[in-house]
This record gives sequence, structure tokens and C-alpha cells, in this order.
Amino acid sequence: MRLRLILTFFGVTLLASTAQAFTVAAASDLQHALPEIEAARGLPPGARAKFVFGSSGTLYRQIVQGAPFEVFLSADEALAEQLIDQRRADAPGLVYAVGRLALMIGAARRLELQDPKTALASPQIKRLAIANPEHAPYGRAAMETLGRLGLAEVFRGRLLLGENVSQAARFVLDGGAEAGLVALSIAFAAGDKARHVVMPATLHAPIRQRLVLIKGAGADARAFAAFMASKEAMRVLARHGFERPGS
Amino acid sequence: MAETLEVALRQRGPIPLDARLSVAGGELVALVGPSGAGKTSVLRAIAGLLAPEEGRIACGGAVWFDGARGLALAPQRRAVGLVFQSYALFPHLTALGNIAIAMGARPAAEREDRARLLLDLVHLGGLDGRYPRELSGGQQQRVALARALARDPKVLLLDEPFAAVDQVTRRKLQRELTALRRKLAVPILLVTHDLEEAAILADRMVIIHRGRTLQDGRPRDVLRRPVSPLVARLTDQRNLFEGRIEAAGSETRLRWGGLLLEIAPRPEFPAGTPVAWTIAPSDAILHSRHRPSQGERENPVEGSIGEVLRLGETALVTIAPHAAPGAILTIALSEHVVDRNALAPGEPIKVSLVASAIHLMGRDGPAEPD
Amino acid sequence: MMDWTALRLSLELAAWTAALLVPLGIVAGRALAHRRFAAKSLIEALIAMPLVLPPTVLGFYLLAVMGREAPFGRAFEAAFGQPLAFTFAGLVAASLIANIPFAVQPIQRAFEAIEPEIREAAWTSGLSPLRAFLEIELPLAWRGIAGGVVLVFAHTLGEFGVVLMIGGAIPGETRTAAIAIYDRVQAFDDAAAGALSAALLAIAFIATAVLFALGRPLRERRRG
Repeated sequence: MRLRLILTFFGVTLLASTAQAFTVAAASDLQHALPEIEAARGLPPGARAKFVFGSSGTLYRQIVQGAPFEVFLSADEALAEQLIDQRRADAPGLVYAVGRLALMIGAARRLELQDPKTALASPQIKRLAIANPEHAPYGRAAMETLGRLGLAEVFRGRLLLGENVSQAARFVLDGGAEAGLVALSIAFAAGDKARHVVMPATLHAPIRQRLVLIKGAGADARAFAAFMASKEAMRVLARHGFERPGS
Repeated sequence: MAETLEVALRQRGPIPLDARLSVAGGELVALVGPSGAGKTSVLRAIAGLLAPEEGRIACGGAVWFDGARGLALAPQRRAVGLVFQSYALFPHLTALGNIAIAMGARPAAEREDRARLLLDLVHLGGLDGRYPRELSGGQQQRVALARALARDPKVLLLDEPFAAVDQVTRRKLQRELTALRRKLAVPILLVTHDLEEAAILADRMVIIHRGRTLQDGRPRDVLRRPVSPLVARLTDQRNLFEGRIEAAGSETRLRWGGLLLEIAPRPEFPAGTPVAWTIAPSDAILHSRHRPSQGERENPVEGSIGEVLRLGETALVTIAPHAAPGAILTIALSEHVVDRNALAPGEPIKVSLVASAIHLMGRDGPAEPD
Repeated sequence: MMDWTALRLSLELAAWTAALLVPLGIVAGRALAHRRFAAKSLIEALIAMPLVLPPTVLGFYLLAVMGREAPFGRAFEAAFGQPLAFTFAGLVAASLIANIPFAVQPIQRAFEAIEPEIREAAWTSGLSPLRAFLEIELPLAWRGIAGGVVLVFAHTLGEFGVVLMIGGAIPGETRTAAIAIYDRVQAFDDAAAGALSAALLAIAFIATAVLFALGRPLRERRRG
């Protein structure tokens, strides 16, 4: 009797799709803000969003390969637009935030962070962690920044590439790199384990973060997407270092 | 009602075979030959573990293998009992379990009762619960035998069953087998490389070499009258010589070096034929030192003693005959005769070879058994 | 805070993989143990491949086969109404392939360790090939089989590269404990990562202990 119950349970797990909650693919820089936003919606656990964080490029590719995400919060607007062009996502989506880049160092290091340009040029930084520019928008912004500062050659061969911007931050905290150019939201979340200074926005193209609903998204997903535009969501995002779009 | 086992096998490879033998109900036949001679292959073919290219194997009316008809029954369907050289007992079953599992589709209680009877038969009563690793070599062999008998086989096959035990145990097991076979009426085929064992146990001996059966007969006949020099060497015949048949007046004699020996004439070896010949060590008669020789003694051979090998109650004396230099004649004498005549290496000696015991063979065929 | 969902997923994946691979392991392992044929070395090499391939290479090729655009993935979706990649079923499929050597090799060794004469003795004692297999071979090979099961189970718990590429780390569906640990580390949640790691460590320890206990020879234990 018990065996039958177990088998049935396994059978349900094996072939059932999770019909209750919906999955949201989100850029790594939202790792700390999104759970807070979702909690603010006050829904029962069964109806809450399930988040999969990663670099925008990787998530984009997974969506193209058929991953069952219903909402995509990209940190790279261009990728969201491509999905719309491919008719995989509904137009127009929503630019929910503009991201900022920060220079982050481990709390124990003594490095003056007053002037970000001077700080980056410090000989104390032997290795610099950034997200992989090939598929992470913050990585691209980091490379642009280095280029504008004339430091691209200086750091050639000394860059530690994280698979996404969270991993890059992790490298800094674990000591793999003395410093990192990461999302401001992540630098905030590191709390007193790290110190940071915001990089001037003029040094890179704006990181416009766009949300799109994937074709076939259900009502729950749409409700979530709608909530992302709300004042409350905006307040949470601001607390985590994101800027309003259009500012 | 025991039936006769008839075997005829032929194949070119991987192990060449050209064997023919039969075993009647109640008979124990020893298949003898050096390692690699193919004896185990013959046994495996009879058991169904090997299918030769051509041949026929039948027991009474049941044909188990027929190359011409493409018939080859699986081992399970042949009524054989096989005792492996390594016993191959099932390590995870007790002695009783090993025997009971071979008893086919019968209720468990019945199988166990019959298995107990078999254990008693092989003198292992009371050891039902022991596992093979807890049994001595001799005990394991008996369990293997009992398991082979569990199926009420029509043929019992034994593959060097006593090779892995010590001398004393071997003698004991051989005696038990001899006693046991009186109770069984089935044909028994025993494979061994031990000539002595074959001579003791078997009704008939079959000599096999490189897959070929060379001679088949009573042990006494095979050992005394080998059919070729090869068989003579395979049966460890000590006195194997070459000679030539010569006419001496109206009679034929055997020329051996400087000697002309009297023999029992054989029409297939006329005068002039080169031959090989043997004589059993016990068929030479010593000329006693203390009694003068009588001229009528047949085939006198003079020589000097090479060695005196004492083997308990008998002794083997090697002689270098003066008239046949290079040859070594071995005779067997009782120990007290050796002592009484003060036989020692280097001493002169004279023996008579019993004419009727001189066995002639053709010289053809390979002399070396390798 | 322990992620019970992720742990449950890991255990389910390991259990399903082990359960499905055991019959395959027995059939394949036994066939390889007993037979000699021309392509045997080639097949043994193929079976051993997942052992030496980097998991990402395996994941890459599996995705090429199981992805929605791929023929096999499409066929699966047509038959069952849901895709293979990014689902638990896809993880099971990938895990089965990745674990083949862990199932087949120990079981093959176990059957090889049975002397051929023992099987022959079974046949000449009148046992049909089926009875010989069930009553003689299996009892003698069970340790190797059990060892294979434990090995598959433990290895699956640790799978990362393949699971990540095929599954997409979807919570409640494909985010196994190993993936969840990585995920929590990236989210600076060392406490949760630590809890899951400790759980996996404990399970791995139990698994190795069982494996070693199974490895002890028959001789050392008294069997009633």
C-alpha cells in the first residue's frame, strides 16, 4: 500500500509540470531586490514567483532553447527586444530600472575609494573581477568603463571573469580578486563585507533593464509583471541602488 | 537398467579432437593422458559444455549430440553428473543446499531428505549445515560427488577428482569411490593424468594424446602391451628399446645390439622389420649369485648395475647391458632379493628376459610424447 | 534555512536514476562479463566515456539531442505534451546516461568474479539458465550490484554541470541541492549554502560507509 503511494508520488513528480507557481528569469543583479519585491506582494507560497537568476545572455539563450520562463527581467534591453522581434515575447515590455556600475573591494582592504579612477589605477589591484562581457551587460559596461579610462591595456590578462555579475562579486569577497566592477545592487547587498564606490554613468552606455512577458505567460505572471511597474516595486529597487528609467 | 555411453568426437580446433570411446553400465573407464591432451575437453563435450564440430554422443537410446543432424542438447537436458576438478561448489549454499538444488522440481522437504541420504552415502552425514569454505578438500570433493549424483544421472563424469588433495586423503577417496561404484550401476568416466590411479580404479583405460584416443583396454593390457612407442612413453614404460627382427634358422629372433632374443613370433613383424619393443620390469628374472646359472634360461643379459632405487618393499635396478651399450634396462625385484644378492651400483649382474613378455611394436609414429 | 525542495529533488533524481539503471546494469554488465565478441572493447570504451568526459561536454551534447529544437526533444514533447530539457524528466534522462559506467562497471566486475565453472556446475546440475541466474549468479553478485546502486546514487547527488545545462536550475523542478548551493553562494547566503552542503556531506559519508561495508569479503562474516 505504501509502495503504491510512493510510486504515485514519484509519478506525479516525474511527469507533472508545476502548474501552481510560475518561473521568472532575472538578471543576477536583481538577486537581492526581487525576493523582497515578491514578498511585498503578500501572496501564499503556492502562487509566488520562482526565480532563476543568471547572466542576461545565458537566460536569453535558455529562453530560445525553450526554457519554461514566463517573465524575463533582462539587464540588457537589446536582448529583450530581440525576443520581441522573434515573437517569443510580447511587446513592448517595461523598462523597470537603470542599473549602475560600482567598484567593490573587500572590507579588509585599505584602498582609498574617493576617486574611482584613481582607485582603479592603484597598484594594489592585481586582479579585477567583472562579469563575462560576452553575455553579461554589466561585464560589457565594465569593459567600456575600462576603455574610457584608458585602463583596458593595463588590465589585459588580469581580469577574472565571472559567469554572471553575482559570481564576479563572489570572487571579490572570497579574495580571488582584490577588486571588482559589479552591479551597484550587489555591492549594496554585500553589506559590511565590502566597500564600494559608484562609477560615473558617463563611462558606459546606460544599462537599461527591460522586462518582457514570454509568449503564453499566464495570469499570475502578468500580475507579477504589472506589479513591477508599481510604486512599491520602484521604492524597493531604489533602495537597492537602481535608478528610475528616464532619469 | 544402466545404459552404455558411446562417444565419438572430431574437430580441428580450437582444441583438436579425434576421440572414440564407450563405457558400459557399471564400468569405470579411466581417460588418461598428459596435461593438454584433451581429456577435459572430451568430458566437457559429453556434459554438453562444449560442442565439437563433428561426432555423436549417446547414452543408451538417448542421443545427446549428433553433428550430422545439428543436434546438441544443453547440459541441463542431459542426464549427466559432473564432478569438476575444482569442485565448483556453490559458495553461498550449505553442503545440503548444494546437493538439494540439483534435485530438480521436487518439494523442498523431499529434496532435503534425499540430499541427506546422499550426504550419508559419501560419509558426510551431520555436515549438512557447513558451507564449502568450512570444509576440507576431501569433504568438498565428496559434496561435489554427491551433487553430481543428485540428479540420478545416467553417466557419471569425474575430472581429475583427486588431483587437489594430499596422498592420504586421495587413497581414502579412491577406496570410497571403489566401494560406491558397486552401488551405482551407471557408466563412470574418470579423467586423470595419474597412471597408478587409473590402474587401481579402472576396469578399462583409454590413452589420449593431443585429442586422439590411442589405445583402449584393460589397464594390465595397456600397460604391458602398448600399441605404439608413443603409448609406451605416455604410460611411463621404463623399458622401451629398438631392435630388428632377424631370421635364425627356422625361427625369428629379436636382434638387440649384440644379443639375439627369443620372442613370441608375430606375423606382422617378419624378418628384417625394424621394431620397437618393451618388457615390464617385473618380467626379468635375476640370475642368483649363489646358484650357478642353468643354461636353458631364456634371453640371458649380462651387464653392470647402474642404480638401485628402493621403493619401500620393491626396488628398481637399472642395468647397462654389455651387449647393448647405451640402453638402460630396468628390472623390479623385491627388497630382500636385492639384499640377499648384495646388488649395488657397479656390480656385475645377469638377468633373463621372459620371451613371452617381450612386446613388439611398429616403429612408426612419433616416439616423443612431448 | 534548509532548502528542502532542492534536497528532495536531489534525492528523487538519485533514486530514479538508480532504480532505472539497475536492470540495465545487470543486463549489460552480465552480457559483457560472459560474452566475447568483436565489438566488446569498443562498447566498454563507450560505456566508460561519461567517466572521462567533462560534465559540460556531456551536457552540451545531451542538450543538442534533448533540446526543444532537436529531433529527440521534439519527439518527446509530441508524445508527452511537455519538453524534455528544463524538466525533471530531462534531468533523469541526462543522469541515466551520465551514470551508465557507475552502474555497469561494478556489476560487470561482480559477474566476472564468478568462476565460469560455477555456472557450468549449475547447468550440469540441471538448473535452467534462468534458475542458474536467479539462484546462483545473483546471490553471488549482489554485492557488486548493491555497490553499483550506491555509487550511482551518490554520484547523482553530486551532479552539477550536466544538471545545470539540461535543467536550467528551475526551483522546485530542476534546481537540485548541488545547484542550490551554488545559487545560495552567489546570493551571499552562506548559511543556506552551508546547511545544504552539510546535508549532502552526511549523505555522501553514509554512502561511502555502505560501499565499504559491502566490499568486505564473504569470508569475514558468519552467515547463519
